Amino acid sequence: MTCDTSSSGCDLDILDSLSDDSILEISENWNGFCASSESLLKGSDGDDSSLNAEFVMRAENLCKHGLASLVEQHLFRSIEEIFERNGARRFWSYFEPYSNFAPSETNKDPILEEEIQQVICKALEEISSQKQFQEKCLSLLAHALQSYEEDKLQEKANPDSIRDYLFSKYQLIVSSVLLTSLPHHFPGILHWYFKGRLEELSTIAAANSEDEDELGMNDKMDLDEKTKLPYKCGDMDSDINQKYAVFSENNKLVKNIGMVVRNLRNIGFTSMAEDAYASAIFFLLKDKVHDLAGDDYRSSVLESIKAWIQAVPLQFLRALLDYLGDFTSCDGPSSGLKSPLASHPSLCYSGTGIPSEGLVRWQLRLEYYAYETLQDLRIAKLFEIIVDYPDSAPAIEDLKQCLEYTGQHSKLVDSFISSLRYRLLTAGASTNDILHQYVSTIKALRTIDPAGVFLEAVGEPIREYLRGRKDTIKCIVTMLTDGTGGNPNGPGSSGDSLLEELNRDEESQENTIVDDDINTDDKQAWINAQNWEPDPVEADPSKGSRYRRKVDILGMIVGIIGSKDQLVNEYRVMLAEKLLNKSDYDIDAEIRTLELLKIHFGESSMQKCEIMLNDLIDSKRTNTNIKATIKHQAQPEQRDLDVSLDNLNATIISSNFWPPIQDEAVNLPEPVEQLLTDYAKRYTEIKTPRKLIWKKNLGSVKLELQFEDRAMQFNVTPLHASIIMQFQDQKKWTSKDLAAAVGVPVDVLNRRINFWISKGVLVESMGADSADHAFTLVETMNDTGKSGTIDGGCEELLAGDEDGERSVASVEDQLQKEMTVYEKFISGMLTNFGSMALDRIHNTLKMFCIADPTYDKSLQQLQSFLSGLVAEEKLEFRDGMYFLKK
Amino acid sequence: MLPYFFEWDCISVHREVSLNRWHAVSSWTWDAQDETCGICRMAFDGCCPDCKLPGDDCPLIWGACNHAFHLHCILKWVNSQSAQAHCPMCRREWQFKE
Repeated sequence: MTCDTSSSGCDLDILDSLSDDSILEISENWNGFCASSESLLKGSDGDDSSLNAEFVMRAENLCKHGLASLVEQHLFRSIEEIFERNGARRFWSYFEPYSNFAPSETNKDPILEEEIQQVICKALEEISSQKQFQEKCLSLLAHALQSYEEDKLQEKANPDSIRDYLFSKYQLIVSSVLLTSLPHHFPGILHWYFKGRLEELSTIAAANSEDEDELGMNDKMDLDEKTKLPYKCGDMDSDINQKYAVFSENNKLVKNIGMVVRNLRNIGFTSMAEDAYASAIFFLLKDKVHDLAGDDYRSSVLESIKAWIQAVPLQFLRALLDYLGDFTSCDGPSSGLKSPLASHPSLCYSGTGIPSEGLVRWQLRLEYYAYETLQDLRIAKLFEIIVDYPDSAPAIEDLKQCLEYTGQHSKLVDSFISSLRYRLLTAGASTNDILHQYVSTIKALRTIDPAGVFLEAVGEPIREYLRGRKDTIKCIVTMLTDGTGGNPNGPGSSGDSLLEELNRDEESQENTIVDDDINTDDKQAWINAQNWEPDPVEADPSKGSRYRRKVDILGMIVGIIGSKDQLVNEYRVMLAEKLLNKSDYDIDAEIRTLELLKIHFGESSMQKCEIMLNDLIDSKRTNTNIKATIKHQAQPEQRDLDVSLDNLNATIISSNFWPPIQDEAVNLPEPVEQLLTDYAKRYTEIKTPRKLIWKKNLGSVKLELQFEDRAMQFNVTPLHASIIMQFQDQKKWTSKDLAAAVGVPVDVLNRRINFWISKGVLVESMGADSADHAFTLVETMNDTGKSGTIDGGCEELLAGDEDGERSVASVEDQLQKEMTVYEKFISGMLTNFGSMALDRIHNTLKMFCIADPTYDKSLQQLQSFLSGLVAEEKLEFRDGMYFLKK
Repeated sequence: MLPYFFEWDCISVHREVSLNRWHAVSSWTWDAQDETCGICRMAFDGCCPDCKLPGDDCPLIWGACNHAFHLHCILKWVNSQSAQAHCPMCRREWQFKE
């Protein structure tokens, strides 16, 4: 009665005006109402019309006394009580046995699954019927209230407003009762339920699509799997939709799920149900993506994922939404099962062609999720993908599409950089591997992001790291020049050769030139302007616009080194090495490389290299010339050796334009010396007033060692040839004597003679003096047991730089030589100033060494030179300052 | 053929090294007394500032006074003088050496 006092408290006059009769009437009605409502709510066979009539009558009477709110509240209170006691508790008790069940567990127990499925259905049905029954009571009340209102206002009241009000209040009570007593494992169970059902559905769909495939196989035998997939989700889209739609509607499974969802909605679990099936769908989708994508980067999976989304989750959702939507719009549950598509084929178009808004939203959600999942998957494996880049292009293409959707490029950058740091930029990785990965990265990311913004970010750590490596330049130049072994269109070109890249760039450059011509056209300019796209937001504004940032692999590689001069210098050294070791004049490949390099680095910087190649061409001409004149003269007295000028070729270089060449004195065999002199004489005759200076240690000699049973051919340096020829006169030499005869220091001889020892031509034996080894010619090859390896006169190639021998001073050596000039300056400076920091030395040198030789070294070069001086104990280095060593 | 003999099981067997091909390397230089051209100060073995390729394309020329210059350099000099040109080194009248 608290309600009573509170309601009358505001209108005490009415209380006074009440007569005893009316009080009596009220209390009688009240008691009757209480009793009738109680029995009404309890009665399971609620179709008792007398009870209903009494209930309605009592309620109406009470309303007439202005106690409508009291009636309402009382009814709700008792409904709540009963619902809580009977409905909710019973409902939850169904799920009690599964409270320990962990939904994340991949427990595939079919019995348990079946059980849970049944329990859910049963529980939901029961609680729904309970609710339905209570709703019936409510509608009675609504009826009573409505008739009272009508009496009072003398007009037709809106019947729905009261009903709606009461029902929504009831709904609120139901869900609040259920939610307050919600056990924590219930959402898990729901999720699990939906997942199980969806999986079932998906297998059915897969089986169906297999059938479809088999059918399709008969029709289109020539179409393989890949072409069929897009085809299926393209042209046959509506076809398939129809098929699935039919399949879904008639399917008991979907009906069951629909019922569960409806019941859940009924008891106010709309969002929970949605969460549950959404998460189940996403879970399934994720599984599917992982399953499809896996570790295979050779095929594109995006299309099949999309097709799957169309086939399974969307069909399911379509059926579900249709089912639910129809149910709410139509009263009878029987018509709810029929979709407009099934009953009216004329509506087919609107059914499949224009999916409902909810479905479209779902599709977008699912696709976004699929894109994101695939993107995450691919980004995590980007390193591996890029390692086998040309093969993994489909994966890259997928990733590109995903990123276009999600726009999470920064994720890619971060993750890729960290995997680079972890896996590539370590001391264990060879510079060549890093460079190859770098090139692959450039190529791969170029497809993802043509503007090169992210490439910039990703490439920076690699560049930074490579700058710290000593052999970077050398590796780059090797990459540039190698790869096409001699003939550009021949096989054996490793797919990664940069020359190939240069070729392509050359072509594209031609294209841009053509473009430029058209650009003068206003129309084209306008089109270009219209095609302008802003830089991505992540672009670094300090790096200039995209037009200047056109991705150019060579440019990016040169960017590692910092300046093209260093690269050109290294190339020159390597070219010199290669040319000097050539035994013929075939330089077509080098000319081609040089032409391509010229395009990129400019003619002037490649000038010296061009002269070097020119020297080779000139040499060839001069060589033929000299031989022709000698033949012409036909020297009569033939020497007693077989070495004639026919066998002698020479490379004549313009030494000023070549890198410093290592010159060692060596005594060549007398006949060869003689030949060289003759040759030089002829040269002077032809080219007066020029003369030749022989670099006797350079070049290559092809010789044949003849044994009694076989001949062996070798391609060696002049020094090696000189050594072995000494053994013709004398079969045993001590190292001292031999060194004197050949004209080289003993240690050099000992090093070089190892070649012949390793070939089994000479044997080394300890002489009387331990420092003086004796070498003997091996008499039969069989003695050495080496015959198998060099059988049949195989040709042994000895590259010049094998065993650390080079014809050209390396760039470091050159640098060292150039830096020694500044040693005096530096020591003078340090004498004056006492101590100086690296920066200051650098700046001072820059300031004062302007005249020949100009100081043009970098800070790093200076630093390495200074640390060399410290190692030689000429300087001291303390606290960042250099001192003269006292 | 470079014949030589050695003893093996008390039998003299003929073995030899034959040179099939000798590819030598040399550098050319102008047979001039000086290192650099007195006009352009570039090395003789290099080329004058107007040239790209050394050697035949940018030859040296000797004057009667035995001073050598890049042909292009001295020609430029001779042509720039209105009257009789003089050797830039020794101021004698410039005459090409026969």
